[in-house]
Amino acid sequence: MADVAAAREAAPASAPLLQASGIEKTFGQTRALAGAAFDVVAGEVHGLLGANGAGKSTLSRVISGQIRRDRGALLWRGVNFDPSGPRAALAAGIGMVMQETSLAPDLSVLENIFLPDLARPGRLSRRSWRMRAEAILATLGQTDSLPLAAEVRRLSAAQRQLVEIAKALAVEAALIIFDEPTTSLSPGEVERLFDVMARLRASGRGLVFVSHRLEEVLAITDRVTVMREGRTVAQGLATTRLSQADIVRLMVGQELGHVHQARVAAGAAAPVLAVRGLRAPPLVRDVSFTLHRGEILGLGGLVGAGRSETLEALFGLRAKTAGDIHLHGRPFTARHPAQAIRAGLAFVPEDRRGQNIVPDFSVRENLLLGHLSAHRGFGLGYRAREARIKALLARLDLPEERLLDANMLVFSGGMQQKIIIARWLLLEPKVLLLDEPTKGVDIGTRAAIYEMLREAADAGTAILVVSSDFEELLGLCSRILVISDGATIAEMPSAVLDEAKLTLFAAPRSSMAATTRLLGELASETGGAAFWALRDGERLFCLARAGDTDPGADPGFGTGATPLFGETRIAAALGQPPGTFVAEPDGRRHTLLVPVHSHRGHDFGVIGVCIARPPLPDADAIARRVTDLVTHQM
Amino acid sequence: MSETIARLRPLRRLATRLEIRMLGLALVVFVTLSAASPFFLQTNNLLNLLDQSVVTGIVSAGMSFVILTGGIDLSVGSVLGVTAVLMGLAMPHLGILGGVLVAVAAGAGIGLFSGVLVARFDLASFVVTLGVMAIGRSLAYIFSGQNSISDLPPGFNDLVYTPILGIPSNVATLLALYVLAWLYLTFTKGGRTIYAIGSNREAARAAGLNVLAYSIMPYVVSGALAAVAGVLLSAQILSIDPLAGTALELDAIAAVVIGGASLAGGRGSIIGTLIGVLIMVMIRNGLNLLGVSPFWQGSAIGGIIIAAVLAERLVSARTGGH
Repeated sequence: MADVAAAREAAPASAPLLQASGIEKTFGQTRALAGAAFDVVAGEVHGLLGANGAGKSTLSRVISGQIRRDRGALLWRGVNFDPSGPRAALAAGIGMVMQETSLAPDLSVLENIFLPDLARPGRLSRRSWRMRAEAILATLGQTDSLPLAAEVRRLSAAQRQLVEIAKALAVEAALIIFDEPTTSLSPGEVERLFDVMARLRASGRGLVFVSHRLEEVLAITDRVTVMREGRTVAQGLATTRLSQADIVRLMVGQELGHVHQARVAAGAAAPVLAVRGLRAPPLVRDVSFTLHRGEILGLGGLVGAGRSETLEALFGLRAKTAGDIHLHGRPFTARHPAQAIRAGLAFVPEDRRGQNIVPDFSVRENLLLGHLSAHRGFGLGYRAREARIKALLARLDLPEERLLDANMLVFSGGMQQKIIIARWLLLEPKVLLLDEPTKGVDIGTRAAIYEMLREAADAGTAILVVSSDFEELLGLCSRILVISDGATIAEMPSAVLDEAKLTLFAAPRSSMAATTRLLGELASETGGAAFWALRDGERLFCLARAGDTDPGADPGFGTGATPLFGETRIAAALGQPPGTFVAEPDGRRHTLLVPVHSHRGHDFGVIGVCIARPPLPDADAIARRVTDLVTHQM
Repeated sequence: MSETIARLRPLRRLATRLEIRMLGLALVVFVTLSAASPFFLQTNNLLNLLDQSVVTGIVSAGMSFVILTGGIDLSVGSVLGVTAVLMGLAMPHLGILGGVLVAVAAGAGIGLFSGVLVARFDLASFVVTLGVMAIGRSLAYIFSGQNSISDLPPGFNDLVYTPILGIPSNVATLLALYVLAWLYLTFTKGGRTIYAIGSNREAARAAGLNVLAYSIMPYVVSGALAAVAGVLLSAQILSIDPLAGTALELDAIAAVVIGGASLAGGRGSIIGTLIGVLIMVMIRNGLNLLGVSPFWQGSAIGGIIIAAVLAERLVSARTGGH
C-alpha cells in the first residue's frame, strides 16, 4: 500500500473542471451514495472504479444531470452546479456516453449528432450540420468510419458509441463521462476508442472512464477514484503508481469480518447437476460446473458476465446452442420452464416485481404458482398442498390467517422474497436456482433467507446462488464458481477465497483470448504445460492454464486455482527471479517464468512454461513472444 | 397496511369485492328506473331485458377471456356476422345442427387465427383483430351476396324459445355459459393461468405456466362465443343480415369494463361482466320506456362507462389496488 500513499501526493496542478464532495442520494430505502467525492481536471482521463453497486453509475448520473443529489456540493468550473436534467448538464458542457445508448435509432447519424439542436428555435441548416459533423469526426481521427446519412439502427455498437461522442462534442462538452464503454466492443474497437479518448484528452477535455476492467483502467487513465458502498475511499490517485492488486484492495476494503458461517464443502455428496461447455449466446459462452446434493454453490462475477443468463439457460428460459447438461447422470435439456420444473428444477429470477410476483393474485395463489405449473390436472389441485403450506408458513414465521388472502404488494420486499422462495420450496425441488435472492432485502430478512436456504440444502436440495454481493457468496456458499465474460474461469472452495481474490478473478480481461491462444501454442510446441498467473505474496492465482499431455510437466494447479507457492509442484521456480529455466530440487521439472508488463509498466502477472525433460527451449525466444503479445493486446 | 386489511369489518370487506360494488351499481340503476317508469317492473319487460342481454352477454363473456389476458378482440361483431352467413348457407344442406356446428367451428377457427398472430408472432391484439374485423365483414358481404338470408328452416326458431325449466332457452344458454365460464376461470389450471398471464406475463413464463397456449385460447373462446351469439340472434329473427353484429365489439368491451375488468389484464371477473351487460341493457331499455330519443342513448352509455371506470379507479386507489 506504500504505492497508494505515494500516488496520493501526485495531485494535478491545473484547476479542476468538476469538483464533487459529500454527495448523497437515497432511492427508497437504499442509500446509493453516502458521501461520494470526485474531481476531474482538464486534459485527463479519470477512472471511476468500484465493485457492483458501489455507486459509480449513480454518481455519474448525478454529474450528468439524470438524477438530482439529495445533499452534497457539486462545483462546475468553480461554480455551484445543480442541473435540472440531462439537457441542463449538456448545456453546461457535460456529456455522457452511456452503456445503453440514448440515440434515436430511426434517425440518421447526422440528426442524432445534432439532436439537441432540434429543441432550438429557428431553421435547421443541414449543410452547416454536415460541415460541423465532418470537422468533429476529423478531430477524432474517424473521418471514414461513420456514414452520416445512415440510420443509427444499422450501425455497430462501436459506431453508435462514436455517434454519442460526436453528439457530446457537437455541444462543445468539456467533460465527457464514459460509462462502461468497452463492454460490447471487440479488442480492435477498444483500441480505436482509446485512440479517440487520447485525442480528446490532448484537446484539453476532461474524460471520466467508468469501468470494471482493470487492465483497461490501467491502460488509459491518468488518475483513478475508487468507490465502495456509496462512498469515495480513494480520490484521484495517479494510475502509474498503482497495481491491479492495490486497486482491488481499495475496491473491496480491508475489513473482511465474516458474519456468515460458511458451509463445509460438500465432499463426497452425489453430483446432481453437471454442466459442461454450456453456450447460450450472446452472453453465455463456455460455462462448466458440477453441483452436488445438499450443496450451496455460489455463482460469482460482475454484472453482465452472463450469470443470470446461465441460470435462464438451465431453466429453459433461454435457448442453449452447445454444451452438455446431466441431471442425476442423465442428459437433460429444458426447452421451456415447465419441462425444467417437472425434472425437479426451480428458479427465482432477479427481478421480484417483474418476474416473480403476480400482483393480482393473493399470497396463497402466488405461493401456489409453481405448483400450478407442475400440476398435471385440469383442476387446481390446491388442496393437496394445504398441509405443506401450513408447515412451510409456520417454519417461516409467516402468520397464516393474516397472510394467505392478502395482496402480495402490501408486504415488504423481504417478506415478498420469502414467499417467492417458499413458492419453490413447496415443490421440494432437486435443484434450486436463485438470482440475487437478497437484492433490496433488509438485513433481518436476509438472515432468515439464508436460514431457509441452508435448511433446504440440509434436506438435500442442491442450490445455485447468483449474487453480486461477494461477502454474501463467501458466507453462504461452500464453493464458488467465477464467471467472467460468459466463461467459467474458476471453481473453488470458498474457504481459500476472500473478497479481494474473488474480485481479482471476476475482473474481465480483454487480453484473455490472445493469452490463452499463446499458452496453447507454447504448451503444444514444448510438449509441456503453460500457465498465466498473478502472484500476491506467497499465493498464486492461476488465470489460465494449457497443456496436459505430459503428466511430468504438471505444475500442480489448474485454471482458477489459488495455491500457496509451497503447495505447487514448482515451488522452487516460483521463489526465484524470473527469466531463466529453473529446475526443481528433484530435477523432474524445469520452469521458465516471464513477467508480463503492459506498455505503461503495469504488472500483469507472469506467463510460465513447465517442461519435464530437456532439451529446454530457448528462453529468450519465449520471452520475446510474450512481449509481442503485450504490445499487441495489453 | 396488511393489518388494516385484516381488521376490516365484514361489511367493508364485502364492499372491497369488485362484483359486489358493481352489483350495487346495477341495483341503483334498477331502482331508479323502477321509480321513473311504471312499465319497467312488469314481468314482460323484465323477461324482455334478459332476452335483450343474450347476444351482448354471450359475446362479452368471450371478450372477458381476452381482456383478462391483457388483449382485446375488436373482431367479435364481424365474426358474428360472417359465421351467421356461413351458417345460413350451410343450413339447407347440413340441417340445423350442422349449420350451427359450421358457425361455431368457423368462429373458433377465426379466433385461433387471431390468437396465433397475437401470441406466437407477438403482434398487437388491437391491430390483428382490427384487421380480422375488416376481413370478416367483407367476407360476410361476399358470401351472402349483399342480401339477407331468410330461407331458414322454421324449426330453427325453437332454438330460442323452447323453455328449459321455465326459462326461454336463449336466456338459459346465456346463464349456463356464464356458470361454465365462471367455474373455468375460478377453479381450473387454465383459468388461473389466464389471470396470471394478464397480471404478469413474465412471472407466469418464469413459473413455467403455458403462456403461449393460454394466450391463444381466449381468442378461440371469443370467436366461438361470437358465433354462438350469432346463432341465437339469427334464430330469434329468422333472418341473417351480413350487417349483423355491427359495432357489437364496443358494447362488449363496455360491458367488460363496466364490470370492473382492467384493460391491462389480470383483473376482473366474469360475474362482473354479466352485471355490466345487465346495467347497459337496463339503461337502454329504461331510456326507451321513458321515451328518450335513441340518439341520446349513446351519450348515456358513454357517460356510464366513463363514470364506472373513474369510480373504480378512485375506489381502488383507496383500498390499495383491490
